[in-house]
Amino acid sequence: MNKTSSRLAPAAEACAQPAIAFDGVRLDFGGKCVVDGLSFTVAPGEFACVVGPSGCGKTTLLRLVTGLLSPTRGEVRRLGVTVDGPSRDVAIVFQDYGRALLPWRTAAGNIALALEAMGVPRLARAERVAALLDKVGLAGHGDKYPAQLSGGMQQRVQIARCLAQGPRVLLMDEPFGALDALTRQALQDEIARLVRDSGATVLFVTHDLDEAIYLGDRVFALQANPGRLAEVIDVGLPRPRDQLRTREHPEFLRLRHVLFDHVQKTH
Amino acid sequence: MSNWSLRAGSVLVTLSILLLWQLVTTTGLVQPIFLPSPSSTFANLLRGLTRGDLLALTISTMERMIHGWTLASLGGILLGALIGLSQRARYWLTPTLELLRPLPASTLLPVGIALFGLHPNMLLGIIAFGAIWPVLLPTIHGFSAIDPRLREVAKNLGIGPLAFALKFGLPNALPDVTAGMRLSLTACLIITVVGEMITAQQGLGSTIIMAARSFRSTDLYGGIVLLGAVGAANNALLGLVERALTPWRRARA
Ligand SMILES: Nc1ncnc2c1ncn2[C@@H]1O[C@H](COP(=O)(O)OP(=O)(O)OP(=O)(O)O)[C@@H](O)[C@H]1O
Ligand SMILES: [Mg+2]
Repeated sequence: MNKTSSRLAPAAEACAQPAIAFDGVRLDFGGKCVVDGLSFTVAPGEFACVVGPSGCGKTTLLRLVTGLLSPTRGEVRRLGVTVDGPSRDVAIVFQDYGRALLPWRTAAGNIALALEAMGVPRLARAERVAALLDKVGLAGHGDKYPAQLSGGMQQRVQIARCLAQGPRVLLMDEPFGALDALTRQALQDEIARLVRDSGATVLFVTHDLDEAIYLGDRVFALQANPGRLAEVIDVGLPRPRDQLRTREHPEFLRLRHVLFDHVQKTH
Repeated sequence: MSNWSLRAGSVLVTLSILLLWQLVTTTGLVQPIFLPSPSSTFANLLRGLTRGDLLALTISTMERMIHGWTLASLGGILLGALIGLSQRARYWLTPTLELLRPLPASTLLPVGIALFGLHPNMLLGIIAFGAIWPVLLPTIHGFSAIDPRLREVAKNLGIGPLAFALKFGLPNALPDVTAGMRLSLTACLIITVVGEMITAQQGLGSTIIMAARSFRSTDLYGGIVLLGAVGAANNALLGLVERALTPWRRARA
């Protein structure tokens, strides 16, 4: 595998590389082993979901991908390159949207932050921000401060800020965990559409097994103490998915059983 | 409506105090040499402002106060930002700052006089030193106590140290800093007046103490009323500035 790819031209080689690769990753926190023996790859453009009990290392896994944390042992690669720090190619949507937005900036200002960081000239920014607000369904709310927005709207702002980066890898840490069921379903469909349009690779952490099957191409189930990969499930459901039909699909129900059984066993 | 009645109440209280003052003096309960009536105080004040040199004295005091305040604010924000952004600087400097902070500025005046003489800049330095604390400490806190999640947002976006200071640190510190600048201005007024009294530099402070020593009570109380007015005007003006600088604090759903 490696031999054939090394003979390809550099550009083609980058394409053939997995977007995210974990290679025997272990991470210790103050002498305690948090995750161990993590090895997996995520293909470019793939939507991978991560489930697992609380404290099994899901957030840690995302932090390893961003480069905010470095592995104690093993290696994390993005597009074939060893991760040694944050990059604007990687965007992360934090679970606690209330803390991830700058309270002193309006929705538009928060989105513009990413554009400023990327050196987009001032004149081009306003137009891009307007387009992004429109994309996440917040047109007309650009001049509101986070405190004036509902939780769902704040999370949309955070998603828009991440999309503004034009990321090749999008990490999401239980992004809809604190939202009501309807808002949650609407955002699930929005994110699926936005991701398909952008072609980004997604690593999506959730507590909700249904959500993981509904959104994912694959579901990684983690196990705790120490955090490790317990099972990988391929989701062959047709896209675009639909809140009613997909959830009634026999394959959806089958996968749901598999995943629930698995979680029961490892809990 | 309730806002209106609150305002009416405050006017009423102020007027009653003035009335009480007038009563106490016209009935002869207190000798005018200790407490002149408000009417004669205000008449004298008006005369001093229009014909005498009271206006010039007030302006020189306010200039001194504002210069000192500008120094204290700029120094406090710059120094506070540097200390707040660097954990090492915080560790190194905090004990020294804790030692210097409680020193009353008036105790430094004799030191300043001994070292630098009665130079006007010496007084300015003392004013700035005494008034820097209400700005410096909240600035340090505002720049250091940024939510860790926001730090991660900045790191992920590759935001450099200067942009981080301006876009994260400064706005995070701003509400406390502007409140601190209000306190600092009050401190400036106090230290300016005390400084003028001790160093006999031209201004309201020296005028008040001269008036007191020569039993010119209307001048004394005129000066005090003037100082009160300056302080109140400062506070009101800064309140407006504060609101303009931190619009998100008023934004609630
Ligand atoms: N900064 C840290 N210092 C020490 N231990 C930590 C730190 N961050 C996380 N841990 C530990 O690492 C383990 C995994 O944490 P992590 O946040 O990745 O779990 P998680 O799967 O995201 O949990 P949850 O579903 O509750 O969000 C936990 O046992 C936690 O106690
Ligand atoms: Mg987590």
